Amino acid sequence: MDIFDEVKDSIDQFHQELSELDVEERAIEDFRIKYLGKNGIISNYFNKFGQIPNDKKKEFGKLMNSFKNEANQAIESLHQKLNEKQTKQEFFDYTLPGVKPVEGSIHPLSKTMDDIASIFQDMGFSTELGPEIETDYYNFQALNFPENHPARDAQDTFFVDDKVVLRTHTSPIQVRTMEKQKPPIRILAPGRTFRNEAIDASHYCTFHQIEGLYIDEDVTFSELKTTLYLFVKKYFGEDVALRFRPSFFPFTEPSAEVDISCFKCGGIGDDCSLCKGSGWLEILGCGMVDPNVFKSSGIDPEKYTGYAFGMGIERIAMLKYGIDDIRLLYGSDKRFLQQFKQL
Amino acid sequence: MIINTNWLKQYTDFDYSYEELGDRLTYLGLEADPVPNPLASIEKIVVGSVSNVREHPDADRLMVCDVFDGKKTRQVICGAPNVKDDIKVPLVLPGCQLPEGKVKKVKIRGVKSEGMIPAEDELGLSDDHSGIIILPDDAEIGQDFRKYYSERFGSNFEIDLTPNRPDCTSHIGVARDLNVLTENELKIPDTDFEEDGDEIEKYVEVNIHDPEACPRYATRIIKNVEVKESPQWLKDRLKSIGLRPINNIVDAANFVLMETGQPLHTFDYDRLNGEEINVRMSEDGEEVITLDGEKRELDDSVLLICDAQQPVAVAGIMGLENSEIIDSTTNLLLESAYFNPARIRYGSKYLGLQTDSSYRFERGVDPENVIYALNRLTNLIVDLANGQVCTGLIDNYPKKIEQPQPKVRFSRINKLIGQDFDPDWVVDKFEKLGCKILDKDKNSVKVESPSWRPDLVREIDYIEEVIRIYGMEKVKSSRTIKIQPDYSRNDRYNFNRVVRDKIASYGYQEVYNNSLFSHEEKDFNLFDLEPVKIKNPLSRDLAYMRTNLSSGLVTTAADNINRKNRDLRFFEIGKVHDLNFDKDNKADEYEHFAMLLTGNLEPVSWKYGQRRTGDFFDLKGDIQGLIQYLTGKEAQFVDSEMTKENYNQIVKIVIEDDILGYICQLNEELLDDQYNVEEQKVFVFEGSLEILYKHFTPEINYQPVASYPAIERDVSILVNTSTRVGDVMELIRNNGGKHLQEVQFYDLYQGENIQENKKSLTFNLIFQNPERTLKDQEIDQQMNIIFNQLKKKVDAKLR
Repeated sequence: MDIFDEVKDSIDQFHQELSELDVEERAIEDFRIKYLGKNGIISNYFNKFGQIPNDKKKEFGKLMNSFKNEANQAIESLHQKLNEKQTKQEFFDYTLPGVKPVEGSIHPLSKTMDDIASIFQDMGFSTELGPEIETDYYNFQALNFPENHPARDAQDTFFVDDKVVLRTHTSPIQVRTMEKQKPPIRILAPGRTFRNEAIDASHYCTFHQIEGLYIDEDVTFSELKTTLYLFVKKYFGEDVALRFRPSFFPFTEPSAEVDISCFKCGGIGDDCSLCKGSGWLEILGCGMVDPNVFKSSGIDPEKYTGYAFGMGIERIAMLKYGIDDIRLLYGSDKRFLQQFKQL
Repeated sequence: MIINTNWLKQYTDFDYSYEELGDRLTYLGLEADPVPNPLASIEKIVVGSVSNVREHPDADRLMVCDVFDGKKTRQVICGAPNVKDDIKVPLVLPGCQLPEGKVKKVKIRGVKSEGMIPAEDELGLSDDHSGIIILPDDAEIGQDFRKYYSERFGSNFEIDLTPNRPDCTSHIGVARDLNVLTENELKIPDTDFEEDGDEIEKYVEVNIHDPEACPRYATRIIKNVEVKESPQWLKDRLKSIGLRPINNIVDAANFVLMETGQPLHTFDYDRLNGEEINVRMSEDGEEVITLDGEKRELDDSVLLICDAQQPVAVAGIMGLENSEIIDSTTNLLLESAYFNPARIRYGSKYLGLQTDSSYRFERGVDPENVIYALNRLTNLIVDLANGQVCTGLIDNYPKKIEQPQPKVRFSRINKLIGQDFDPDWVVDKFEKLGCKILDKDKNSVKVESPSWRPDLVREIDYIEEVIRIYGMEKVKSSRTIKIQPDYSRNDRYNFNRVVRDKIASYGYQEVYNNSLFSHEEKDFNLFDLEPVKIKNPLSRDLAYMRTNLSSGLVTTAADNINRKNRDLRFFEIGKVHDLNFDKDNKADEYEHFAMLLTGNLEPVSWKYGQRRTGDFFDLKGDIQGLIQYLTGKEAQFVDSEMTKENYNQIVKIVIEDDILGYICQLNEELLDDQYNVEEQKVFVFEGSLEILYKHFTPEINYQPVASYPAIERDVSILVNTSTRVGDVMELIRNNGGKHLQEVQFYDLYQGENIQENKKSLTFNLIFQNPERTLKDQEIDQQMNIIFNQLKKKVDAKLR
């Protein structure tokens, strides 16, 4: 091979290696020695100068000088790059704030409702919805409220006309479901409800409930207890104790109220502001579906039994998040809502 | 209702501590809240005896006395009018912390005082400041006054009684229920007295004109009584539950009410006209003056007790002034009756008057206890006020109230509770409850309900008794629960959750607003719904069910802006209503979702500098994104051809043929005038969640990714400023041929170097054929077609 071709190959090789070279001190030095060192490729070619025919010497000299210059420049620029790189690394200020996404938030009532619903959905409850404006029949009559029950007073209920009310609870959904579906029925009924109450720190005319209903051939109070134990432990925590005590609702019998041990004072009571010293917090009402409710929906109370339970979302949310004024939940301040970004 | 522990012990024995008693009652369904004892935190008060009361040498109204505290005699200064020798008093020792402050050794005008003799208000026992507390003579000197006080007055529970338990509106009632647990005997007081007067028929006759409203009315007459102060024990009983003693007659009636649950009324016999009692309904417009001095007008449905001429009491609720016991009263007519609960509830509601008496009658008193209570009161009055009891009593009870006789199946108890109960145990407990056992076999028991338990009518009521007495706490929780497979997914509830999460992920904060609003005020009613009016609203501002969510969002935003929170993105999901007389519930109900955007989109950033201010296109983009995410479809934004004063522009959003909703900018004048918001643009979207759900497509159809290269072309054109970009894109799409995959609009320019009425638009077009590589020539041809059409249709010029 002609020496000129050899040099040209070396130049190509030089370019190739240069393009692949890491900008690292060690690699640059090795590269320099390989081409520009005392025994480097370029020196070796210069050493062969004597063997070049005279008429080609000038051409050869020009080629080699340009190769050497190019190599020198390349090394110099590599050093500069290395320098730059090192400088840059030293000044990289990773403490500058990250660019955060703008996050929205889910309202605490939605969160509470969803968290509760999820637990029961996992237990096979499906969701049913119903209208907020209800007939007297679904809201009261079919639920075994006697004609002169205090809840039917205008002081407690909003009326649209004599036979139409804003539903005072989500229980009408029970009746609507029983009318259209044969047992077994296992449903969850979430929704907005209304009471004719003056607005203050603990009352609002609009509020929310969620209730469950299970009807089948052998539903027992004993199973109701287990279901609610499971719910309470999952939602409020394993350490929370609960108790059932007899109560009264027109549409269930036996009826019970469920209290959980106060999670602020741990059930000790004394001067606790949350449980007012009793050590217990009332969280839900429940019971076995009253036979009269079955009858009004055309379900045979001899064949079927059922349980129902219901709770107020506002109350649970306020307990859970330590909110002391129900009005904070409606028409809210951004600074209030912002706190519910967290999962 | 207040229950006192000492009083309770009069009728039953129990050795529960205060806390245990509260728990037992609560687990019986009588929710018992402890009533704090005012003396609980006060130490250093002892019982002392007073002697040597003398005038203060240097102060007119003060007395100096010696008080022996059991160990030594202390000199105490006292200013009360009732201080005297040889009385026993509570003595507050120096160092004692009272609600009003600490008691110290002091000198008053040169005389030292080593303690204090308190009035009731100074210990927080009542608001009585008329004189010092004087203790009965048997109080043991030197003992801790707290101990003395709690032994004398006991402790109280506030019972939150459910409406089904009228039997527990008295101390005997609570004792009776407690005894079912403890199996103790109920100690019912005797009612021995002598009838030594004339026959009662000589003095009065009772006519019941409405036996349905008044099924039973009994009376006795006592002559020659002496109205005076009650004895200490009676005053103590009443005071222990917060009642004020009045005189021996009234106090005796109140005592028997709290003891037996039977309200009783005492009339001054000599103030009645004629010798008859008439129980009748009021006449429309009839007026009475009740004991509280109020003049009240009646309708035609309030039950009255009348003499021969006029009303003397509103039955079961309150007596009238005209027949009230006064100091000169000597002859009494006592009333014990059973009134229809619904009738009394009506009267109480009509008059807006709830009394201890109406509270019990409207829940249902024990019709078979009427005579016992009457005799008990007679007995007490004879003891306390002497008098001669007329012979006999009048008991007008035309039709005996029959008690229900349900059959209770043992298998049914076990089936409902989920635990097997011993039939003998069950029957025993029913007997303890006061039931008559009529019949019993191995499967069931037939009982007659006790007359004091109007709530025990059906088999189920007895099953509740089983669980109540056994204890709900003790009922075993089942080891497993059944799970019914629920195959539904993406139902409406879960769909709402998905929508909510997605909108929040765009940076919007969810709010809840009241469903009740004032319709007249502002018109945000984009869907033109007819508001449903509330007949009995809380206020005029809350008189309608909302027709839209926007008005609430705008109010919430304005409130925030006025609090200097100007950068807002809010959303709400909720129901709206439309009046519809054809519906049973008079309304169509729709679910809407609404979004509001105003101010800057992000906080100040060191990296990007200037903040972006949100506008119509940000809101539009969020909605486009949401629709894409939930339906996979492209929404159309079109002219709404609608004008509303509240909005500057209203753009309609359509998915296929369905109107999803509207996106608008709020009128700035309205913001300024109505909401006090200036220099801020507010954009609102409101749409139908039902329509979004209708198009909801949670399934994704995978399209193979093309392996042949795509070809990109940019095109810049000049068009008239009035040409709409959407129309141009539509033209490009329609003429791009089958290989045109995407059209992106990425530059809009008006201004320098461009004619005044022109704007420059730049699009990026991507062509692709999934089966082969496209040739440049093909694309060039297609680009020519596009450009020719643009030229023809919108007079575009290539740049």
